[in-house]
Amino acid sequence: MKKIIIYIRSASPIGKAAFLLLTAIIILSIFGSQLSRYPHDLSSGKSLEAPSKDHKLGTDDLGIDLWAQICNGARISMIISLGVATLACGIGSFIGIISGYKGGIIDYILMRFTDMVIVLPQLPTMIVLGAFFGPSIKNIIIVLSLFSWTRIARITRAKLLTIMEQDYIKIAKGYGASFKYIYLNHIQSQILPIIVLCFIKTTGKAIVAEASLSFLGLGDPTSKSWGLILNRAMDFNGIYFTPYWKWWVASPLIAIVLLVVSISLIGRELENKYDFKM
Amino acid sequence: MKKELLKVKDLKISYFLDSEVKEAVKGVSFTLYEGETIGIIGESGSGKTSIAMSIMGLLTNAKIEGKIIYDGIKFNTLRQKELNRYRWNEVAIVFQNRLDVLNPVLTIREQIEEVLKKHTMKSKGDIKKRVKELFSMVNLEEKWLSSYAHELSGGMRQKVLIAMALSCNPKLLIIDEPTSSLDVLSKREIINLLKSIQKKNNISMLVISHELPVIQELTTKVEVLYLGHILEEGLTRDLINNPMHVYTRGLINSSCDINVYKELWGISPKINLKSGNGCPFYQRCVQASKECTQKLPRLSYISIERKVACNKGGIVTILETKDLSKAFKSHGSKIYACKNVSINVKAGEVAALIGASGSGKTTTAKIISGFLKSDSGSIYFEGKEIHGCEAMRKIHGIQIIFQDPFSAINGDFTVEKAVKEPLEILNIGSEEERKAMVKKALQDVQMPFDNEGLDIRCNTLSGGERQRISIARSLVMKPKLLIADEITSMLDPSTKANILRLLKGLQNEKGFSMLFITHDLPLARKIADKVYVMNRGSIVEEGNALEIFNKPKCQYTKKLFKECFHMTV
Repeated sequence: MKKIIIYIRSASPIGKAAFLLLTAIIILSIFGSQLSRYPHDLSSGKSLEAPSKDHKLGTDDLGIDLWAQICNGARISMIISLGVATLACGIGSFIGIISGYKGGIIDYILMRFTDMVIVLPQLPTMIVLGAFFGPSIKNIIIVLSLFSWTRIARITRAKLLTIMEQDYIKIAKGYGASFKYIYLNHIQSQILPIIVLCFIKTTGKAIVAEASLSFLGLGDPTSKSWGLILNRAMDFNGIYFTPYWKWWVASPLIAIVLLVVSISLIGRELENKYDFKM
Repeated sequence: MKKELLKVKDLKISYFLDSEVKEAVKGVSFTLYEGETIGIIGESGSGKTSIAMSIMGLLTNAKIEGKIIYDGIKFNTLRQKELNRYRWNEVAIVFQNRLDVLNPVLTIREQIEEVLKKHTMKSKGDIKKRVKELFSMVNLEEKWLSSYAHELSGGMRQKVLIAMALSCNPKLLIIDEPTSSLDVLSKREIINLLKSIQKKNNISMLVISHELPVIQELTTKVEVLYLGHILEEGLTRDLINNPMHVYTRGLINSSCDINVYKELWGISPKINLKSGNGCPFYQRCVQASKECTQKLPRLSYISIERKVACNKGGIVTILETKDLSKAFKSHGSKIYACKNVSINVKAGEVAALIGASGSGKTTTAKIISGFLKSDSGSIYFEGKEIHGCEAMRKIHGIQIIFQDPFSAINGDFTVEKAVKEPLEILNIGSEEERKAMVKKALQDVQMPFDNEGLDIRCNTLSGGERQRISIARSLVMKPKLLIADEITSMLDPSTKANILRLLKGLQNEKGFSMLFITHDLPLARKIADKVYVMNRGSIVEEGNALEIFNKPKCQYTKKLFKECFHMTV
């Protein structure tokens, strides 16, 4: 914890702002139900009410409080993005490390497999898979992860290849060090910052990807994420001819943009810190 | 068959000091044939002069055991009066040149005449003639005859001493340190004089000296003496070119007359006077083992005309490679990086592998240390064949130091962790023992070894310091062979000099052997005992460093040296 605070202190003003924003959204996602006066799944006022003292962000066509929906959506977006990032980083770094460490035929097979996944067009395949598996948070996480690990695998492999060329690895191997020893002592400390950065970047991307899937109607209709709120709003006939878009469309959109921007700003901050570009 | 002139058998000399008996010579045997010259070399205190004095019967307050047989007569059982018949007439001694050897109140003439009077009983005229004759024999002007000892220079006094010794035409001349404390020109003069006298009169000589060039010029056979024991015996030229005892090699390496290029390092002084029953040299020996602390080695033949007193039969070979070959495939053709490479490294020796870049030096080093697999050939470490990195994984094995200090040490590691790494991987010792070993190794490479120093991160250290850390990491395994692959090529001149001196000092102190790989010829000339020249994967020339640097035979070596030393070979 102390380390993180020192980290934030040393960050640039923009980085600090991004971090504050992210913390706010995380708090929102955790304590969402306590922060909103109204339930997120029951109508609590008239339909399509403009923002007022009562309903801070107004209501949707069913009269459900939008602030409550955004709070709840934050949680779902967070769960999905973190889930995707964890899974993708897990798979990606595992394949990258094995491939870079072992080299030879194992490296060849794993990397060709990775290439194959990269070649697949992402969105169409995601739509197909999304439709095929059916909409649920779990399935969305799996589908999104399937396409996010490839970059991570390649980056970790590249880093590992440079580490493996170092003489100290050769010497440690000469002394008969096991993979476990070499990984824990020599590799982990160098590979971890990269994985953290990948994690953050994947989180940002997963939020957008989930939103776009939901926006296309492939999300889980029972778990109302920000993308789904947006999807519902856009589905409303002639939304742009009415003033409703000012709160109904704008609020989930702004929430998404703020989250993604803050995450990518933190990512950039880390990139500068570790002095590498991805 | 030549006639035995002097035979010393199992000679033991003990001095009676106030309360104890001190043995100065412990069972020395050698034989001097007629017309032969034998040299006795050794550090001071090894008993050289005691032997000379005992032959002359000049030792008082000492017990002499064993046999000294001169021409069939047992010298050490004769009484002083009988002995006087032989002294000067048969056996004469040239004393070590000091001011007090000559009587300060008598002139030179009187002193020489005194000898002649006592031993030859000639008439006065004959004596005068003989003195003049002697003076011309040693190239001294007659005017000095009437001067006193203190009026003469060191060289002149030495000549007077020689003249005195020659006065009665002895058959055996014992010469004790004939040239010490003389300048170069006088030295040369004395050596030439002794040489011509020896030739002309066909006298036998026993030359005692710690100066190897003197021995080299005057003698045909050498006895190497240490603490009253003969450790090696052999023909002078052979012995100096190829010493077979660690002590002899140490003596030769400490001589700047022989090693004109090399840095000088004496034999490490680790004297603990309690020697026990074991080999007298074991405390300072680089290849000593437990056996040596208990068993006294006997002087025995290891080849024709060469005797060595060592439990291991002389200097052992640490590393031997036989016909190592390695080819790399490139564009469908085979390129030999290493072709039938055979290398020999003896205990405590620095062998340099030199050659241009791309000649296969590093490939050879990698094969020996086990990082590369050779296509054919075998490697023997201490007589046993080794495969892969197995020699690297044990204490007293082979260790390697790489060229790039930044790549060789993980910058994220603390100094302690970096040095401790081999111990941790191989699970050697307890946690405290490891820490102690690390501290010792850091102390050896002159890095801070307190707790603060141990916690320094390696990425805050400079290249030279990191190279020290990687040396420490190797030393922690107490290697018997250290392979140093271009370890100084990335360092600035001052750091380079420091690292090299450090490494050479450690080598001298700990006695490990080193295979020093470099393209830096002046550097190799400074530190190598033995040189291998590599070109296109094969060894084109090998041998004693001095010989190769002075008289390279191979065309490629000649070209290399010509470029490097601007010498015309």
